[in-house]
Amino acid sequence: MRLSSSMLVRQNLTRKLGRSILLVICIGIAFFVFGVLSSFRAGFEGSEARSERLVVVSKIGGNETLPLRYLETLQGTEGVASVTHITRLRAHVAGNERNIIGANAIDPESYAKVYADTYVFDPAMMRALADNRTGALVGRQLAARENWAVGDRITLTSFVHTNQKGTNDWSFEVVGILEGTEPTVDTNFLVVRYDYFNAAVVRGQDRVGLFGLKPAPGTDLDALSARIDAGFANSAAQTRTQNEVAFMSAFLQQFADVALIVNLIVSVAFATILLIVANTMIFAIRERTLEIGVLKVLGFSGGTIMRVVLTETLVLFGAGLALGFALTAAAIPVLGDALRSVVPDLYMTPRVIGTSLLLAIVFALLTGFLPALKALRLPIAAALNHR
Amino acid sequence: MTGTSSAGRNTIELQGVSKAYPIGKSHVTIFDNLTMTIEDGDFLAIMGPSGSGKSTILNLIGGIDTIDAGTVSVGGTALNRMSPAALTRWRAAHVGFVFQFYNLMPMLSAAENVELPLLLTGLSRAERRKRIATILDIVGLSDRADHLPSELSGGQQQRVGIARAVASDPQILLCDEPTGDLDRKSADEILTLLQLLNSQLGKTILMVTHDESATRYAKRTLFLDKGRFVPDEVRQCA
Ligand SMILES: Nc1ncnc2c1ncn2[C@@H]1O[C@H](COP(=O)(O)OP(=O)(O)OP(=O)(O)O)[C@@H](O)[C@H]1O
Ligand SMILES: [Mg+2]
Repeated sequence: MRLSSSMLVRQNLTRKLGRSILLVICIGIAFFVFGVLSSFRAGFEGSEARSERLVVVSKIGGNETLPLRYLETLQGTEGVASVTHITRLRAHVAGNERNIIGANAIDPESYAKVYADTYVFDPAMMRALADNRTGALVGRQLAARENWAVGDRITLTSFVHTNQKGTNDWSFEVVGILEGTEPTVDTNFLVVRYDYFNAAVVRGQDRVGLFGLKPAPGTDLDALSARIDAGFANSAAQTRTQNEVAFMSAFLQQFADVALIVNLIVSVAFATILLIVANTMIFAIRERTLEIGVLKVLGFSGGTIMRVVLTETLVLFGAGLALGFALTAAAIPVLGDALRSVVPDLYMTPRVIGTSLLLAIVFALLTGFLPALKALRLPIAAALNHR
Repeated sequence: MTGTSSAGRNTIELQGVSKAYPIGKSHVTIFDNLTMTIEDGDFLAIMGPSGSGKSTILNLIGGIDTIDAGTVSVGGTALNRMSPAALTRWRAAHVGFVFQFYNLMPMLSAAENVELPLLLTGLSRAERRKRIATILDIVGLSDRADHLPSELSGGQQQRVGIARAVASDPQILLCDEPTGDLDRKSADEILTLLQLLNSQLGKTILMVTHDESATRYAKRTLFLDKGRFVPDEVRQCA
C-alpha cells in the first residue's frame, strides 16, 4: 500500500512538473515573506523586554515627560522593589543627522538595580562612571557599530535639548562598554549621567522620560499598575503604567505606522499567494476526477486515494516551506545588518518556525482534502464520464 | 443462493432489476424488472442504441452503480447488499474493466499501469514483476513495458488497458466499447485478444459494442433497447 502511494504521488507531482515547481516557488515566497515579517516583529518587540518589569510614562504620550519627584512616590508605593528613571537625549552623532543614536540619561545606581537581570554592571565600570560626570557607558553593539572604545571622546547632537553653552552638542567620554547578560539582549544604545544632563540642560530640568520599576516578588502587576496610575490621577501629569513588553510595542507603534502598513501589505500578499496556490491545487485535483474514478474502479479505497492526494499537497507545501525557510535564513543576516538600529537582533524565532509549519500543514490538508473529498464523493459512474 | 447458479462459481445473475435516474423532479427509468443470467466463461456481446442502458448494465455488474430494486449477484453474492468498502474489495478481486478511452494513468509506464491493481494484492515486488512480464507478453507488449501511454498507439494503449484489467486475475472482464476508438485492424487485434482470454483462460467477458463485426468474436450477442433485451428475430423484423 505504501508503494502504491509513492508511485501515484510521484506521477501526480511530475505530471505538470512546471506547475509543481511554480507552486513550490509561490509557497516558498509566501513563507519567506511571512518568516521575515514575523521575525522582524519578534525582534521589534525587543528580546530584552522583561514582562516582570513595569514602565511608567506620561498618560498623554511618549514624548511627554514626567516630574522627577515622582520617583519618591513610586519608591514608597507598596509592591515596588526598586525604581529608576530614563530620559532620552534624542540625539545623533555630531555632523551626521542620519546616524541616530539611542542615548539615555540615567541614574546609574538605581538603573543598575532595576536592570541587573538584563545588563552586566561591572563594579569597576560603575566606579569609572561615578568618577566622571561626562562619562558614558556604550552598549557592546553600538560600540562595535561606531567603532568606539573606552577613552574615546564622542559628541552627540540632540534634536531637542540645548545646554548651558547654548548649543545642542553634548560631549561625553566613553568610560565603559555595557554588555547584555545574554547575547540576545539589545545593546545598541548608550547611557550617560542624568545629574550631569539635568544640570546642563536649559529647559526641562527635573523632568524625565519614563520610570522603570522592578516589582517586589509575588506582586500582582496589574494591581500595582492600577495603584500607581490611581495615585497620580489627580496630579498635573497623569501616568500610564504598563509592563515592559506592552510598553515596547506601544512605544514602537508610535513611529511604526509605516511598519503597520508594511505589515498589512505583506499579510495581504501572503494570504493572496496562498489562496492562489490553494486554488491552483484545487483545480489540479479536480482535473483528476476521472483518474480518481478509475482508481476506485480498480479497487483502491477512498482512504488510500485521499492519502495519495494529501501526501502530494504535503510534499508541495513541505518543499515550499523549506524554500521559504532557506530564503529567510539567507535574507535575515543581510536585513539584520541594514535594520540594526530598529531591530537589534533579527533572527528566526522558534515561534515563527512553528507557526509557519502549522500554517503549511493546515493549508496542505485543506487544499488537498476538500477537492479530494469532492472527487471521492462523486459516484464512480459519474466520475468516469468526467472529462 | 439460487439453485440455478450451479453451472459455475461466478455466474452473474440480475433478477428483477429496476434502475432510474432522477432528472429534476421526475426520473427516467433505465431498467424496469430486468432479469438475465450470464454463465461462467461466457463471451457476451451487448449491442443497442445510444442511451439504451448498455454501460449501466456493466456498471451494475461491476458494482460501480446501484440499483433501485431487485438483485445483482455474482457467484451467489448479492452486490447490492454489500457496503461500499466491501464492494471495492470485491471488485478488486473479481472484475476487470476495459474502457473505450483506455483511462491509463498518463505519467505511469505501461508496466506501472499494469502494476496498479497488483498493488492491492499481497504480492511481493518480485512476484509483481513476474506477473507484469507474463501479462505484457500475453498482450504482446513485452518490448513496450517502459513506454508512457502517450508513446503508444491507440491499439497498444488498449492492450495495456486489457493487461491492467486481467493483472490481478479476475474472473470477469467488463469491456465498454473496447474498440470504439480504434481502426479496423487494431480493433480486430483487440477482439482476438479478448477471444483468447475467453477461450484460453476461461474469463467471462461482457462486451458492449456498436460494431456489428465485433459480435463475431463473441459466443453470443444480446440486443438492448429501452432497457429490454430484444429477441434477435424481433430486431431483424423491425
Ligand atoms: N448519472 C446519470 N444521471 C442521469 N442519467 C443518466 C446518468 N447516467 C446515465 N444516464 C442515462 O441513462 C441512460 C442509459 O445510459 P447508458 O450510459 O447506460 O447508455 P449506453 O447504452 O451505454 O449509451 P452509449 O451507447 O451512448 O454509451 C441514458 O439515457 C443516460 O442519459
Ligand atoms: Mg455507454
